[in-house]
Formats: sequence, C-alpha cells, structure tokens
Amino acid sequence: MIILFIVLPLIVAGLLPIIGKVSRRVLPDALANATLLALLVYAVVAGRGLIADGPVLQQLSWLGEAVNVRLALDGFSLFMLMAVSLVGLAAGLFSIDYMEHYGAKANFYALYLVMIAGMNGLILATDLFSVYVFLEVAAIASYALVAFGLGRDELEAAFKYLMLSVVASAFLVVGIAVIFGLTGQLDFAAVAAGLKEVNAGPVLGLVTAFFLLGFGLKAALVPFHAWLPDAHPSAPAPISAVLSGLLIKVSGVYALTRIFINVFGLTPALSAVLMALGAVSIVVAALLALGQKDMKRMLAYSSISQVGYIVLGLGIGTPLGIAGGLFHLFNHALAKGLLFLTSGSVQQATGTRDMDEMGGLAKRMPVTAVTNLIGSLSIAGVPPLNGFWSKLIIIVALVQAGHPVYAVIAVLASVLTLWYYLLMQRKAFFGKLNEKWAAVKEAPFWMTAAVVLLALLCVGVGILFSSTVTTWIQPAADILADGVHAATGSWGF
Amino acid sequence: MILQTALLIGLVIFSVLAIVLRDLLKSAISLAVASLLLGIIFFRMKAPYAGAFEISVVAGLITVLFVLTIALTKSGDDVRESKIANWVFPLVFVAFIVIDALVMKSLLGKVPALPAAAEAGGFGDVLWRGRTLDLIGQIAAILAGVFAVLALFRKKDKHE
Amino acid sequence: MSNTWYLYLFFAAALIGAGVLGLLGKRNLIKLFIAIEVLGKGISLILMGTGLAKASLLTAQALVITYIVIEVSLVATALALIINVYRQTKSLDVRGLSKLKG
Repeated sequence: MIILFIVLPLIVAGLLPIIGKVSRRVLPDALANATLLALLVYAVVAGRGLIADGPVLQQLSWLGEAVNVRLALDGFSLFMLMAVSLVGLAAGLFSIDYMEHYGAKANFYALYLVMIAGMNGLILATDLFSVYVFLEVAAIASYALVAFGLGRDELEAAFKYLMLSVVASAFLVVGIAVIFGLTGQLDFAAVAAGLKEVNAGPVLGLVTAFFLLGFGLKAALVPFHAWLPDAHPSAPAPISAVLSGLLIKVSGVYALTRIFINVFGLTPALSAVLMALGAVSIVVAALLALGQKDMKRMLAYSSISQVGYIVLGLGIGTPLGIAGGLFHLFNHALAKGLLFLTSGSVQQATGTRDMDEMGGLAKRMPVTAVTNLIGSLSIAGVPPLNGFWSKLIIIVALVQAGHPVYAVIAVLASVLTLWYYLLMQRKAFFGKLNEKWAAVKEAPFWMTAAVVLLALLCVGVGILFSSTVTTWIQPAADILADGVHAATGSWGF
Repeated sequence: MILQTALLIGLVIFSVLAIVLRDLLKSAISLAVASLLLGIIFFRMKAPYAGAFEISVVAGLITVLFVLTIALTKSGDDVRESKIANWVFPLVFVAFIVIDALVMKSLLGKVPALPAAAEAGGFGDVLWRGRTLDLIGQIAAILAGVFAVLALFRKKDKHE
Repeated sequence: MSNTWYLYLFFAAALIGAGVLGLLGKRNLIKLFIAIEVLGKGISLILMGTGLAKASLLTAQALVITYIVIEVSLVATALALIINVYRQTKSLDVRGLSKLKG
C-alpha cells in the first residue's frame, strides 16, 4: 500500500483542526510526529523488501473496480521517500518546542503534513500532470508556512516566493501540454516510448528549455535563485530546514532528474547545460554567502551552492556521477536541515539572526554549538563526515568523465564553503561571550533531540558511508543510470 | 471557425485590459468577462464540463474573491504604476504577438505527433478512473488552500 | 495534427505573454495577481486546445478542471497574503516590499 505515503498524512492533516479544538498542543504534536515516524519506519523497514524484486508499479482498485492510481516505487523514489520522512521527522520533533510561541499548532502541523503529502505524491507519481499537481500542493502549503509568523518580512518573502513559483509552474504546465500534444500521452513510460518514436527535434528542445526554467526556479539554481534567500530565512526554522533540505530537492532536483533522465533521456547537450548551471550555482552562491551577516541568509545561499553540486554530479550522467549527486542530495538534506534547526535554536535563545551580535554562544549552548559545527564541517566536506564522501565521489566522477575544470571548481568552492562556515562558527559560537547573552540557556529538550539526531546521522553516515551507498544510494543511482529504459522497460508496460 | 477566432481575440483583448486598466475593480470585471469568453470557447470546443467549471468557478468564485480583496484593501489602490511600463507594455506585447504569429506559422503542420489513445467511456469514467490520482491531488490542494487561509487569518496571539 | 492546434497555441501564447509582461511591469500587488490569472487562462486554453487536437477532449477536461481547482486554492492563499501585507503596510505597492528585488 504505497499510497499510504500520500493518503496517511492527508487524513491526519484533515483531522488535526478538529483535534486541535480538544487539545491545543499535546495531541497535535504527538499525532503529527507519530505520522512522520510511521512513514519513516514504513520506508526504511518495509520499503526495501517491497522493491527487492525490482520496481513496484501499483495499480489500485477501489470497490472492486480498477482505478488509475498508478504509483511507482523504485530505488530512486524509495530513497527520496526515506530522505523526506527522515528530515521531515527531525523538523517535526523540533517544532514541538519551537512552534510553541507561534500559536495555532494544529493548523501548523496540518499544513506541514499536506506539504509532506505533496512531496510524497510527487515522488510516487508516474504521470507528468500528476507531478505538476503534487508539486503545486506542496508549494501552496509552503507559501502559507513561510508566512506563518505573519510578520512583515515573512509576508513579503512569501509573496515573492509565490510569484516566482507560479511562473515556474506555468512554464512546467506549458511544457507538459506540448508533450501531450506531441505524444498524446502523459504517463512517464508512454511518453518515453512516444518520444523515441517521434522525431520532435527543436520542439523537444523548447520543452526542455521550459522544464529547465521551471524546475530551475523550483530548485533555485543560479540565475533562477532570487526568491530563495528571502523565503528560506523568513520561514520558521523547522520550515526553513524542510524547504532547504527537502522541498527544493523534491520539486526541483528530483522532478528534473526523473523527467530528464528517465523520460527524455540525457543527451550530451542537456548534460552540458546541467553541469554548467550546477557549476555557476556553486561558485556564485558561495561568493554571495561569504558576505552575509544574517545566519539563516547565509545558510540559504549555501543551499543554492550545494544544490549546484548535486546538479553537477547528476549532470555528468555517468553512474558514478549520479551516485555522487544523489548521495550529496541526502547528505545536504541532513546537514542543511541540521544547520537551519540549530540556527532556529540560536534565534529563539537570542532573538537575533545577526552573526555580528552573537559571539561565545558555545559556552551557553554547548550542544547547539557542537551540532552546528558537525553540520558545517559536513557541508564543507571535511573527512570523515558524510559530506566529504559525496563531494569526493562527485569530484572523482568529474575527473573520470574528463571534466578536470569542473573538478577544480568543485574543489576550490568547497574550500570557500569551509571558510564561510568556519567564519559563522567563530562569529556565533566561539570567542568571548557577548554580555547580552549571559542569561541564554540551552535549547529545550525536543529541539536539542532533533538536532542531535541529525548530527548523529551526519557522523554515522560518514563513518558507515560504504554501506549507506550500497543499500540506499546505489539502487537509486541504478534506476537513473538505466536512463529511459527504466521507465519504458522495468515498469512493465 | 470565424466565430471561435473572434471569441479568442475577445479573450485576449479583455485579458490585456485586465492588466492595463488603471481601476482595480474594472480590471477584475474585465478578467471575469475574459473567463466568461473562455468558458464559451470551451463549450464550443465541445468541452461542456470544463466550460461550466470555467464560468462558475473562475468567472464566478474567483471574481468574488478579487472584488472582496479589492474592497478590503480600499485605500491601497492608488499605487502609481511606472510610466515607462505603461508605454513599454503595449509595444512589447505587440512585438510578442508578431513573433508568436511567425513562430506558429513556421511550425504549422511541421511538428510530428503521435495519435492519442482512444478514450473509452464518458467523462465520468475518464475523470474518476483515468485520472484518480489527480483527484487525490485536488483534495490535497483544497486542504492546502483551506489551511493556508486559516493560518493567515488566525488571531495572532504571542502568548497563547 | 490539425491546424487548429496552432490557432489555440497562438492565442494561449499571447495570453501567457501578456501575463508575464504584466508580472514584470506592474507594481500593484492585486494587479500582479491579475496578471497571474491571465497566465492561468493561457494555460487552460493550451491544455484544452491540445486535447481538441489530439481528440482527447475528456482527458483534457479532466486536466483543466484539476488545474482550476488548484488555481482556486492558489488564489485564496495569495489574496490572503495580499490582505495581510496590506494590513501591515497600508499599501499595495510592490516597492513598499523592501527586499522584494534582492
């Protein structure tokens, strides 16, 4: 019953406002997090068994009649589902304490679960239009979540995010309509088969451009990134963590790779464009991050830069490059989720995001400081943390595929990354304690628990990287390396 | 065909009016007229369900929402639009139309295409059985919209 | 492929072009959203026109209806945002949004 990934969070979301009338905090907290935990357990425990004999294509029947809910679970989608539930659970636990002062917790969790359901639906869908539908579901929930604080900055950021996001999805639907016109189909497998048959040449190029623009905006690749540095910092911390850690990857990177690699087939030209976009994002966003004083804004620019690494790795198109890109996607989701959560702890304790005002917080918030350091080093790619291995794989893949220039860029940019993260660590946590913060206390239990969970995962995945790669990353990479054949062949049409 | 083309031209004219008109209420009404025309176009394409939806929901409900918003933000509608944009918009739009026409003319009949699979049954079959996942998506989208509005209009109380 | 497809594509592209131009040039928040609605009409038209050309009108209608439902959710969310922005700033001017061009 893989449809539970979509339906379970929706049902709980529908019940939450009613439950919220009975119990304002405890029940919504418990129910929402239990749902996320259930999804995580399902993905980790049952999911791998389900796809042991190859991808599962589920066709549901309802009241004895076959209805067309076609969901495909393969290595790639299972991997993404696992990442979504994992980071989603950590952010959900963090919200227990963090969202306390925002009020309307039941409403918050309802929106949060709808967003998770939207992402899961997008991951499982096997139809171009359904991808758009669920992408929009997740997006609508995320606009409200960005604006959840109802402050001026939040509203402005949410409106700007909405405007650009609507343009992105408009281009996507136009692309989908043209594909429908070319092949007469919307289903991934049928479209892939149809595109092979019909020689669409320049029109397919146009559609590719539309999709690049649409998904590029969703993934916030440079030069489509303008909305992200406003939207992600303005949101409440757990939402920033999910937006940066998951949403841009699911509705940007996942959808883009799934459609380009499994449906259209990766051509050398497309591969070159993706790699160029990735490399530009890495460098430009890293340079912009360097100048930021606002802690969360810096993290947001860093997200753009790291998405660049992911796209660069996936764009190479070789099995190793794809594996590296996917592994980095997972590692960045963990580490950036962690960093946004710790920045939330700091903001709640001190009331500011300006790093110049902080200083010496390590003495008052030791757990937050240590977990923040782990996240920073992981993203910067310091061994033996998880981020090191994925960057290493990407760089090796670049050299193997004959792109030494990109490899050099990737190495240099990761030095730059290390620099600005250490700058953040020094300004915020090390040095002399700013007297203003003498009364600051460590974050409450659930907030600490969530960041410790993610930090342990960062370290654990780093140490056990080879088994993580073989159990989770490789099955996903195999699906992508299989190219168009994965959609037309193994989904059994 | 001529009537259909005339309706399409009307659709574009009212849509452009909705964007360029100074008065917000007038532009909301132009938008409603454009929706109405689109609904008629859909009817004439033998797509009555989509036409009915377009007219009742987009021309009706969404217009009501727009007018409500305009009423609630009464004194905010004296935003001075940029003068340059007022000049540039028609020029660029005309240029765009010309390019659009040229592109379509050059593509005319040149795009290869496969025939679609034949559709079995009535509209209900296609919607309920063919695209069931989209229906789940619709429910999710409605939930998202409802919760979003509830969240944005909640009473903000710092010390709840 | 019948030539009517290109007719609908032409008009849909005109609507989408008008919408994008409006988004670029306008400053009133409600105006910006009206531009988005125009964009949405272009998309409904392109979906329906394609369905007509492919003789899959029923599928196209299902798509258009889904699209309209999503549009309603989006409009409700966006207008709620606009009203909230107005309550805070007493203005509908995009330039009042300090960070909007960053």
